[in-house]
Amino acid sequence: MAVAKDDALTKVSTDAATELVNSFYPALEKNRDAIGSFYMTTPTSILFNGNPVADGAAVQEIFVNQMPAAHYEAQSFDCQIINRAYPTATAAGVKPPAEMTVKDMSILVIVSGYVRYGEGRDQPQRGFSETFVLVPNPSTERGHRRKGWLIQSQNFRLVV
Amino acid sequence: MKTMKSRRSGGTSGGGIRKRGPTRTDRDGDMDMDRPGVRGGKRGRGDTGRSSASGRPQARERNLDLLQKAVSGGKDSQANIRQGKGSGGSNLEQFSVRNWKDSKAASNRDGGVESLTAFLERRLNASTKSGPRAKITKSRVEGDTLVVFVKPELAERMIRLNDNLFAGVHITIEPYDGTSALDRDLATSNGTSAATADTKSKMTAILGKRYYPDTKLLDLSKLVTDEGLQAMGIFNSTSTESKFFPALMKVWEMQFTSSTQRREAVESVSLADNQLANITVVTTLAQTVPDLKNLDLTNNNFKDPSSMSGWRWKFRNLEFLDLSGNPISAVPTFKDTMLKWYPKLRILNNVEVRTAEEIAAQKKTPIPVQAPYFHDESQIAENFIRAFFVSYDNNRAELIKGVYDNESTFSMNVNTQAPKAQQIETAGWDAYIKRSRNLLKISHLPARMSRIYTGAEKILELWNDLPQTRHPDMATQADDYLIECHQMPGLPDPTGQSPTGVGGLIIMVHGKFEESVGGKVETRSFDRTFIIGPGGGIGGIRVVSDILCLRAYGGNEAWSPESQAIPQAIHPAAAPPAAAAAAAAPAPVSTPPVAQLGLPAGYGSPAPGKTDTQVQQEQLVAHMSAKSGMTLQFSEMALSGNGWNPEAAWKNFEELKAQGTLPADAFLPTA
Repeated sequence: MAVAKDDALTKVSTDAATELVNSFYPALEKNRDAIGSFYMTTPTSILFNGNPVADGAAVQEIFVNQMPAAHYEAQSFDCQIINRAYPTATAAGVKPPAEMTVKDMSILVIVSGYVRYGEGRDQPQRGFSETFVLVPNPSTERGHRRKGWLIQSQNFRLVV
Repeated sequence: MKTMKSRRSGGTSGGGIRKRGPTRTDRDGDMDMDRPGVRGGKRGRGDTGRSSASGRPQARERNLDLLQKAVSGGKDSQANIRQGKGSGGSNLEQFSVRNWKDSKAASNRDGGVESLTAFLERRLNASTKSGPRAKITKSRVEGDTLVVFVKPELAERMIRLNDNLFAGVHITIEPYDGTSALDRDLATSNGTSAATADTKSKMTAILGKRYYPDTKLLDLSKLVTDEGLQAMGIFNSTSTESKFFPALMKVWEMQFTSSTQRREAVESVSLADNQLANITVVTTLAQTVPDLKNLDLTNNNFKDPSSMSGWRWKFRNLEFLDLSGNPISAVPTFKDTMLKWYPKLRILNNVEVRTAEEIAAQKKTPIPVQAPYFHDESQIAENFIRAFFVSYDNNRAELIKGVYDNESTFSMNVNTQAPKAQQIETAGWDAYIKRSRNLLKISHLPARMSRIYTGAEKILELWNDLPQTRHPDMATQADDYLIECHQMPGLPDPTGQSPTGVGGLIIMVHGKFEESVGGKVETRSFDRTFIIGPGGGIGGIRVVSDILCLRAYGGNEAWSPESQAIPQAIHPAAAPPAAAAAAAAPAPVSTPPVAQLGLPAGYGSPAPGKTDTQVQQEQLVAHMSAKSGMTLQFSEMALSGNGWNPEAAWKNFEELKAQGTLPADAFLPTA
């Protein structure tokens, strides 16, 4: 694998984080049936206010069946590359270094914002902090709905 | 609430902050024409602020700002200087004449003003025999000051009259700086001059009479009829009148050494019977007592919500509001508007508009708030976090040397818009904003690259530029932290040996810290996530990633578990890592995704016939059950079998669980 330049690495990681923030929160709001598609099949850990949730399907189930309407607003977010040579587990086993590209990285994302539960703009704004770890989507399927990155771990906490 | 009303001082006759003493109108007739910038022409008192949707509040804000500057800054107030110069309009010079109130002429019917004016004119003419007769063009009284207006060519002669003997006293004559003596006293109420100290002590005395510590009521009703305030001449001029309330609040605040003490001193305020048409004059109340619960505004003149809109986002804890005797109460949308404005409002005009249950329901979140999820490995995260903030506050270089290496990354972002715990002003983010890597705002690649810091050296360089901080002590102020942790696979292997990466820990910390901003201690909140992995640092670890988010202080209420207070009773919500680690549950496979503790009513709470030991034991059992997923019976067995030592009980539980010797019915059914 050729050594990726800093600018390429920064672009890939910040684009991935931006895409997550721009698509995940709208999905929690208006596209809850798609929530499961944001997660890898066997995530490391998913936590909401200290409650462990098994996987993306369970998150989706909770949002579809139990959550009231909610409006999320990300007010600040940032990301860092955790591993520049993330060992993506594909169907054929872990990718050998020779096949790796600049996109084989894991990314730490931190988001700060607020959520308003319930209908209407007058509900109180609850501040939240959320940490994600993103990893490359190992699936080889193609199509415009295919996600480049999947959530490996997630921790949501109301903080205000 | 009853107390509040009955405490209100007696008498019903009107009078208010905006109302003047009876002699007032005569005296300042010419005044109004003279200072158009300061005061509108013939506008009625009550109107001064109401017509002001756009222009005036700004001017007022500015004045307030300047006043505040003056109040905090000391003697030389810019506000006064600006206000004085250039506001005259006509080409007249203004002088203040003082001390005459002690003269024999003061017993004259008009207080001696006429004879003083005549005296000054005589003196002005005494020094010259030719030319037109010198004249005091205009004059007005402000408290103990006579402000006189003369043509510029007379200015020099005027100033020479300083210290002249008038009716037995030496009068003081100075160029008028736009404020009366009272103004200055108000504006510099923390200054040191005798007059200032006097004003301050008078106000303190007035406040003392109006404060009821037992009910935490500050009764500011019927201010205009307050003899103490009348004696001070507060209502004799518009300028003192408008500055009086902010100054009174300032004096009030000065009685407290800490903002917590100040916030806790008052729960109720009455501003009843003050003929307020809007909140313009009293708006600073919201800064002085932001946590107010009860506000009595009865018998004022609020017409509609717009007259109070400045308090739309204030008083977030207001539970009781009384606007009876105001036209606003008849506005059809009144109740809805107030409910919307004040989320905790329960009683409006003495009618219950929200139940306690409805209020409590607001706090509930769709996903119940649980105690922190802290799954450490050999206390690595615990030891790291315990040492981290102490070192970050005291020796950042040492910290960097200890656990950061050339591949460690650090970046920070500031959420300048974050919701706050209290409606208070927060200090700016100047020291941080240049480094903030909020990707919502920092969109250009070069900036994104330059705002991330890789390697110990660069990180330290940045940290040395950031303000000094003080984080709360984790052992004694555990509540201020929420710390969660779990394992994280796939980290880079610093030795390069493992192509599948190495395992480590991710630690998420929410908390607060103090920082000195311009000599003032500012409290801020932060969210900070670390990824640590095996490495060459202290304890065989290294920091892979350190990402920090800063925001306005948001309190710690949000993470106190809402399901049951019981686990808290033993280990506070933000359990110190030691406690959390000791109690760290195994992977909670048996816990349903969104779980609530099912406890019998009253379990773990004191009750008649229950000993303290029992209550304590029940709490331990409840905690054990919550952490282990075992039933109360089995949790109790585990604890009693281990001499009620929770750590020993936990160890025992883990062993038994690992051996698979615990029966299925030892565990709570999964939902």
